[in-house]
Amino acid sequence: MAEAAVAVPAAAAGRRFRLPKIDPYAAIGLTIYVVFFLVALFADRIATHDPLEILFDDDGNLLSNVAPGAAHVLGTTNLGRDIFSQLVMGTRNALIVGVSAAIVVASLGTLVGLVAGFFGKWVDTLLMRVADVALGIPFLPFVIVLAAFMGAQTSNVVIAVALLLWPNTARVIRSQVLTVRERAFIEAARVTGSSTWRILFVHVMPNILPLTFLYGSIAVGWAILTEASVSFLGFGPSDSISWGYMLQDAYGSQAMSRGTYFWFVPPGICIILVVVAGFFISRGYEEILFPKLKD
Amino acid sequence: MPEGEVVGLVGESGCGKTTAARALTGVVPANARIAGGRVTFGGRDLLAFGAKDWDGVRWRQIAFIPQSAMNSLDPVYRVGTQIREVLRHRGGLGRGESDRRVDELFSMVGIAPERQQDYPHQFSGGMRQRAAIALALALNPRLVIADEPVTALDVIVQRQVLDTFRDLQVRLGLSAILVTHDISVVAYACDRVVVMYAGKVVEAGPVRAVLEAPSHPYTMGLYNAFPDLGRASGTLVPIEGNPPDLRDPPKGCRFAPRCPFAVAKCREAQPPTVTVAPGHTAACWRLDEAPQLRQLAREEQTWLRSSTSAA
Amino acid sequence: MPRIVTRLLHMLLVLWAVATILFLMFRLMPGDPTLAYIDTTFSAEQRQQLLVMFGLDRPLHEQYFIYLWNLLQGELGTSFHYKRPVLDLVLSVLPNTVVLTFVSLLLAYIFGVLVGAWLAWRRGSWLEGVVIPSVLALRAAPEFWLGMVLLATLGFGLGIFPSGGANSPGATFSSEWARIFSLDYAQHLVLPTLTLFLYLQGLPLLLMRSNMLEVMQEDFIMMARMKGLSERSIMLRHAARNAMLPVVTAFALGFGGSIGGNVVVESVFSWPGLGRLLVNAVAGNDYPLAQGAFLLITMFLVVMNFVADLLYSALDPRVSHG
Ligand SMILES: Nc1ncnc2c1ncn2[C@@H]1O[C@H](COP(=O)(O)OP(=O)(O)OP(=O)(O)O)[C@@H](O)[C@H]1O
Ligand code: SF4
Ligand SMILES: [Mg+2]
Repeated sequence: MAEAAVAVPAAAAGRRFRLPKIDPYAAIGLTIYVVFFLVALFADRIATHDPLEILFDDDGNLLSNVAPGAAHVLGTTNLGRDIFSQLVMGTRNALIVGVSAAIVVASLGTLVGLVAGFFGKWVDTLLMRVADVALGIPFLPFVIVLAAFMGAQTSNVVIAVALLLWPNTARVIRSQVLTVRERAFIEAARVTGSSTWRILFVHVMPNILPLTFLYGSIAVGWAILTEASVSFLGFGPSDSISWGYMLQDAYGSQAMSRGTYFWFVPPGICIILVVVAGFFISRGYEEILFPKLKD
Repeated sequence: MPEGEVVGLVGESGCGKTTAARALTGVVPANARIAGGRVTFGGRDLLAFGAKDWDGVRWRQIAFIPQSAMNSLDPVYRVGTQIREVLRHRGGLGRGESDRRVDELFSMVGIAPERQQDYPHQFSGGMRQRAAIALALALNPRLVIADEPVTALDVIVQRQVLDTFRDLQVRLGLSAILVTHDISVVAYACDRVVVMYAGKVVEAGPVRAVLEAPSHPYTMGLYNAFPDLGRASGTLVPIEGNPPDLRDPPKGCRFAPRCPFAVAKCREAQPPTVTVAPGHTAACWRLDEAPQLRQLAREEQTWLRSSTSAA
Repeated sequence: MPRIVTRLLHMLLVLWAVATILFLMFRLMPGDPTLAYIDTTFSAEQRQQLLVMFGLDRPLHEQYFIYLWNLLQGELGTSFHYKRPVLDLVLSVLPNTVVLTFVSLLLAYIFGVLVGAWLAWRRGSWLEGVVIPSVLALRAAPEFWLGMVLLATLGFGLGIFPSGGANSPGATFSSEWARIFSLDYAQHLVLPTLTLFLYLQGLPLLLMRSNMLEVMQEDFIMMARMKGLSERSIMLRHAARNAMLPVVTAFALGFGGSIGGNVVVESVFSWPGLGRLLVNAVAGNDYPLAQGAFLLITMFLVVMNFVADLLYSALDPRVSHG
């Protein structure tokens, strides 16, 4: 499951690399993705300890708040857990959340955008009204309520994110479809008697797939951020390690008043790196940052 | 540039007319480089101007009427406000004076003064061009550069706006440069004409002389390309091919690749500018054969690609 | 005029749809359907009263209409935890959230607009290569993490600012206004505001910069140069004025969005606002309170979307003087 889900950015990466001129920002973003992907893949081997194991020294004393050093790269938590190992294992969780949400958002958004744009009329109106409603729902509060009521599982966070994030993709895809649809070659296809579905998949799809990937790569970042927030607030799954969980643990254990920066700074940096990578790859800063402004 | 006259600047679309006109006001994009030539105004070299010199000249002495007034007016301010801005910040007029002047300018160009409360998008195309003329005349400039002031309008409105322009020019004794690609506009509104091709002046002289006896093959071609002045047969004969890429102009005569009369020499060296009659200059290697070429130029065949070897 | 009416209808439609979704979400929850309003800790008398008020003994569709009718009257039920009307509770914390959001948003937009315009004007300089990635990184950072870092450095590290809450324990004030304008409140406000500011400034900054760059290509800017207007007046009166349009809209949208988005920042700093109330209510299974807080947050979002639309048309004569 993990492998299958994580394979997508690599595929997206392949497409990007075939572009004639690669933008330096996109190159940086891709590099970040690849590094995190490799870390997630080999997390078991990179981690030095079991992330949840409570560690004791040879005399049986709890290894609490050990400073970073040779034995513990980033030190330990106040309950004697190895922070570096948590960070490494958290990568896996983050990528699973990010990529699965991205897949759902991108495919749902693309499907709705395609159907709305291509069929027009009342189908379009209806779908776009639904999109308006989804955009009228406050994002984080909704995810929290849903995660709390449906059970604290990673999949529920992904579902909640997908439910609110698809309209942005759908709107962009829809307007793209509207442009593409009018182009002459589609007219030609119509004249020569291609079926509607054939036109849709053979002529329209290839024109919008790049956008699908673009919005997918933005969704990766949002999903990871959202999962971190939900975990931080205590509504995340308690059985797996994520960056948000680490931050919640650090916050709850007064890491800030103790000044144990090595505990709560690294997870934040990791989140920033992954999210920024998505921004860099898509480059449409304004649209990422505020999709509603562009319509 | 004779005082109180209208000079037409003609050339095909994209040949650099707007660029040349803008250069006269010293507003060029950051990546532009003025490679050669001289620009003088009132005996002073504009190319040597510093920011301070320009401040004295811009709009106070040289004003501009843009190709598309729609894009040249700021969409978020009322038309009247934009004229007032110039009057107050550039003309040093007070509040009351500038209000009066705006009214005066509006009636001068034939727009009801109460329309100054409108925003640019509420004006029709013709009104916008009139407003642009009002804006240009605001500070009583000595020279007005009009960049295709009527190209975007339909023929009837074109005529009306041109009449207004011409009328004001005569009344106020303005000098004007009228940029256009439409030779009929030149014939209608200008005293002198300058013909440009690919960023260079190829022929210049009084309108009558240039139109009746064009000396440069490009001018002859332009003449044919416009129906109402052209030959009796009424068919429109376009000049084949496209203007050269100005970033990398051909060496020799820039018109050579499209000129039906081009000879070997034309492709090697640039022809010098020669005075063919008092006040009438042209740059072509075959000026002495001009009468014969004019004859040939009247024939449609000459301009078709297949018969470029007239020499 | 008709435009406003359609937008208004549109807003009401969204509000109605969200209310309906909320109804379904809380009613179709697994477990006792009366759970949405009635807790086991209530007295028998209270239960009976709530049962009637929300029609919990009637069929679902009737419950739905009763729910909508109650909503229109601001009747949101009674909090399980506080045993007080939900409406009173949400309204009592609203000022804290509004102040926090508004102050940080305003600072972020002032900063973002100025720096964004300046960056556009100095485009291509080395500054761009430093500022833009930093802004994106701040935008990508989880808000609560920024809060934690500030708390560790400025709160605990330097000890200048209080670490949480909106007022020092035991402080009393003559009125709500006196509380909000007290120095004590301002001190508590600094860190959460700074956190939100850092997070929010990126959007107006990037938006302003790209709009400015776009506007500076316009013919009317070239014309302004030909008119000999001063560079200052060209940049401010013409370029910035035009580039500001979408930024103002973004401000209104951001205001609506931040009210809900503050959830985590309020939690980090124990700021007694709407977001924290929601989180606590959800965590404590205080369903009526959670519903009420969620509804109020949604209302803010939807109304601000509407306001953003109105603002845009008011500021752009191409829309308002159609
Ligand atoms: N002398 C020149 N040297 C190099 N490039 C030039 C020169 N003159 C103009 N250009 C370039 O050619 C392009 C077209 O120029 P310009 O807009 O001035 O044409 P125009 O004659 O006004 O066309 P239109 O009739 O369509 O308005 C511009 O991109 C300009 O940068
Ligand atoms: S110089 Fe030669 S090519 Fe140029 S216009 Fe004259 S005849 Fe034609
Ligand atoms: Mg032009």
